[in-house]
Amino acid sequence: MASESSSKSSLTGRSTKALAVLLAVAFCCLALAVGAAYAQTPVPAYDEAEAQSIDRMLICPVCPAESIDQAQVPLARQMRQQVREMLAAGSSRQEILDWFADRYGPGVLAAPPKTGVNLLAWTLPVVGVLAALVAGALAIRAMTGHRRPAATARESAAVPEGELEPYLAAVDRSLSLPDGESPAGDGGPGAEDDRNV
Amino acid sequence: MSDLGAMALWIGLALSAYAAIGSILGQMRGVPALVESARRSVYVLVLAMLVATLSLIGSFINRDFEVAYVAAHSNLAMPDIYTWVAFYAGNEGSLLYIAFALSVMAAIALRWAPASTRDTLPYTTAALMVIQTFFIAVMGFMANPFDKLPLTPPDGEGINPLLTHFGMFFHPPALMAGLIGISLPLSFALGALVGGKGRDEWVDAGRVWGLITWVLLAGGLLLGSWWAYTILGWGGFWFWDPVENAAFMPWLVLTAFVHSVMVQKRRGMFRMWNIVLINVAFGLALYGMFMNRGGPTPSVHSFGASDLGWVFLMFLAVGVIVPFGVFFWRYGLLKSAQNLDAMLSREAAFLVNNLLLLGIAFVTLWGTVYPLFVKLGGGEEITIARPFYDQVNGPLLLALIFLMGVGPLLPWRRANWGSLRRALLLPGSVAAAVVVLLLLFVTRSPYALIGFGLSGMVAAGIALEWWRGMRSRHRSTGENYPLALGRLIAANRPRYGGYIVHLAVVMVGLGVLGGSLFEQQRDVVLSPGESYEIADYRLTYVDTRQAVFSDRTEYLATLEVYRDGELLEVMTARRSFYPAFNMASTLAAIRSTPVEDFYVVPSENRPDGAVGFRILVNPLVWWMWAAGPVLIAGTVVSLWPERRRERAAAGLAVQRAAVAAR
Repeated sequence: MASESSSKSSLTGRSTKALAVLLAVAFCCLALAVGAAYAQTPVPAYDEAEAQSIDRMLICPVCPAESIDQAQVPLARQMRQQVREMLAAGSSRQEILDWFADRYGPGVLAAPPKTGVNLLAWTLPVVGVLAALVAGALAIRAMTGHRRPAATARESAAVPEGELEPYLAAVDRSLSLPDGESPAGDGGPGAEDDRNV
Repeated sequence: MSDLGAMALWIGLALSAYAAIGSILGQMRGVPALVESARRSVYVLVLAMLVATLSLIGSFINRDFEVAYVAAHSNLAMPDIYTWVAFYAGNEGSLLYIAFALSVMAAIALRWAPASTRDTLPYTTAALMVIQTFFIAVMGFMANPFDKLPLTPPDGEGINPLLTHFGMFFHPPALMAGLIGISLPLSFALGALVGGKGRDEWVDAGRVWGLITWVLLAGGLLLGSWWAYTILGWGGFWFWDPVENAAFMPWLVLTAFVHSVMVQKRRGMFRMWNIVLINVAFGLALYGMFMNRGGPTPSVHSFGASDLGWVFLMFLAVGVIVPFGVFFWRYGLLKSAQNLDAMLSREAAFLVNNLLLLGIAFVTLWGTVYPLFVKLGGGEEITIARPFYDQVNGPLLLALIFLMGVGPLLPWRRANWGSLRRALLLPGSVAAAVVVLLLLFVTRSPYALIGFGLSGMVAAGIALEWWRGMRSRHRSTGENYPLALGRLIAANRPRYGGYIVHLAVVMVGLGVLGGSLFEQQRDVVLSPGESYEIADYRLTYVDTRQAVFSDRTEYLATLEVYRDGELLEVMTARRSFYPAFNMASTLAAIRSTPVEDFYVVPSENRPDGAVGFRILVNPLVWWMWAAGPVLIAGTVVSLWPERRRERAAAGLAVQRAAVAAR
């Protein structure tokens, strides 16, 4: 804008000096403003990868269940532009998300914030899965635990089982069964080698 | 033509109702002839459904716009080849497809049912036919595909442009058949329970049909991702969309089922657990159908939005309450034959795998329903989409991959730490090597390190198992290595087929990790002749050709891809605009290699000739699509029937286990 007014003003010689002063002032203001902007954000341009990851956290309000990164409608394009402008102006990811949530309602966020009631959305599944794993571990322990004496009895009885081993291997071979799945239990995948050597 | 179809539909309704009632009555009153006639009417039902299906296809091919469904989903401009897609593009037709698919699967399952299920087969028949009756009745009374319009319009409305894609020939039918296919293992389980045979008799049939529906769902999900990747124009393949989730959740639970059913097959354990799993899978499948047809959540799958919501909600309620009711009624039958021996055993690994899979399904379900709860509770409108699932399910999926690496190395019954350590030595070092290499040369992202490290571990573990088995066969029988490998696989198909499927899962994992962690994406506007550089590629936009069709205008952009100044490929990306739908569909130009995909899709055509493009470099995504055939091959291997001699051998193995347990 400043350059346009300067070209016009060159027609009238008298005010050239005054305009030059004005221009100088304007440039100073601009420089100050830019400087201030620089002071706020070390990088004036935005990070495209960050912009894209923000795009993916915003739902396009007019298309069902598409993020603004996916949607190709004009509104989504405008919103993408807005994200980039705000990033370039130094806004943080959270500020941008908040701005959109204020403007379009909380439904615009692709995942609810981890605060307030919505904390439940995040914690309940995690707690549920952990509880299931703990319950599973306890169930296994209960099942194996109360049979501990029997198990030890079997372990001590495992000696003749070892003697059976060559015979069982021979049966396997004659039936062309794989040796891997040893129902006798103690033989890990490593054990089969010893058997065949 | 359409009258014939409508008639076949009513005949089908009568037949399926008769089969349901007849087999129950016949069994309870002890009239074998009635049971037999009920079973045979299932075969006739297939014929009736076939006639209805063919008649709707015929109406489409004749463009019989008197039929409302044909008028709504096709037009004169539609190529005939899309008849197959148009057939299930809407609510009514997809119901007919489901009814047809269920009747075919039911007939095959009943005809070739294992001898062990023969006593309880009438109950299985009844369960299947109740489900079948529901679908035909809904069609007949509420969503009849053969309903006619009062006035025959000169042209139809046309097929949804997004559906005119090769992937659409298989993705919806595979998913729908997979969802309804869960009825089969469920019905075998229910039959066994009601008939008082809650032990292991149903397990073989349950496993076979569980695997068939599993692979249908897996294939359908992969094809759906591929479709989204090539046509939706945003370069991604999975968005945790409510309807994607609807098919994903039953698949997860089925995955748990096909694992834990092996424990029951081999050890007579987890009997209750398996019934619970198949009941849950069926409930989730019904939930999926409910979401698909007038469910309350918005989705990109606007397909089949209808007022049938409440009918499917009621069916969902019945479909959950009845199987669980039967389960509690027959609870006493389901005592395990044996107990778990040790925390460190393959059985325990299967149990943890089951819990993780159920956990992921639960998280996904929670994410879909939580916004509804909030809304019902008067709260503000919130959304739960991809960031939520990525953050919560991501770690669970990684844990699952870890288990996939360790579980198969554990022996049944009891492992000891020493042998596990020895077995994990090589896979563990491969994982460590992968992590170190990544750290040195590629990335520090913890997700990538853990994900690729675990993938390396699983692959190395499988390779090691194969190598050991092959070598031991080679040594003991003198077979050459390829023959030894073939015989090894043939000798224990469930196990080695499972390994092949695990490899396919690792391949999918590579694609997901590469595509979501390392993609580079740019949106640019290029005028003809302009270039853009991304990664080490240079893309030059040459020009756009326009092709005008009666229903659409196609914009075909010619693009040149260079790397290091060398022309790699001339590609064409397409964007078609459909005025009737006010909708554009795109087809991305993709140069796909195992290393990375170079992906360009036009997003807008500006009046001045410039075109907006989205350009992506997506590493490793190729592996995801390559995994599809591997996955199917693995499933076929593990389903391939055993020969009698091997079955005898398996019997001997069981006896041997009994001897060893003594």
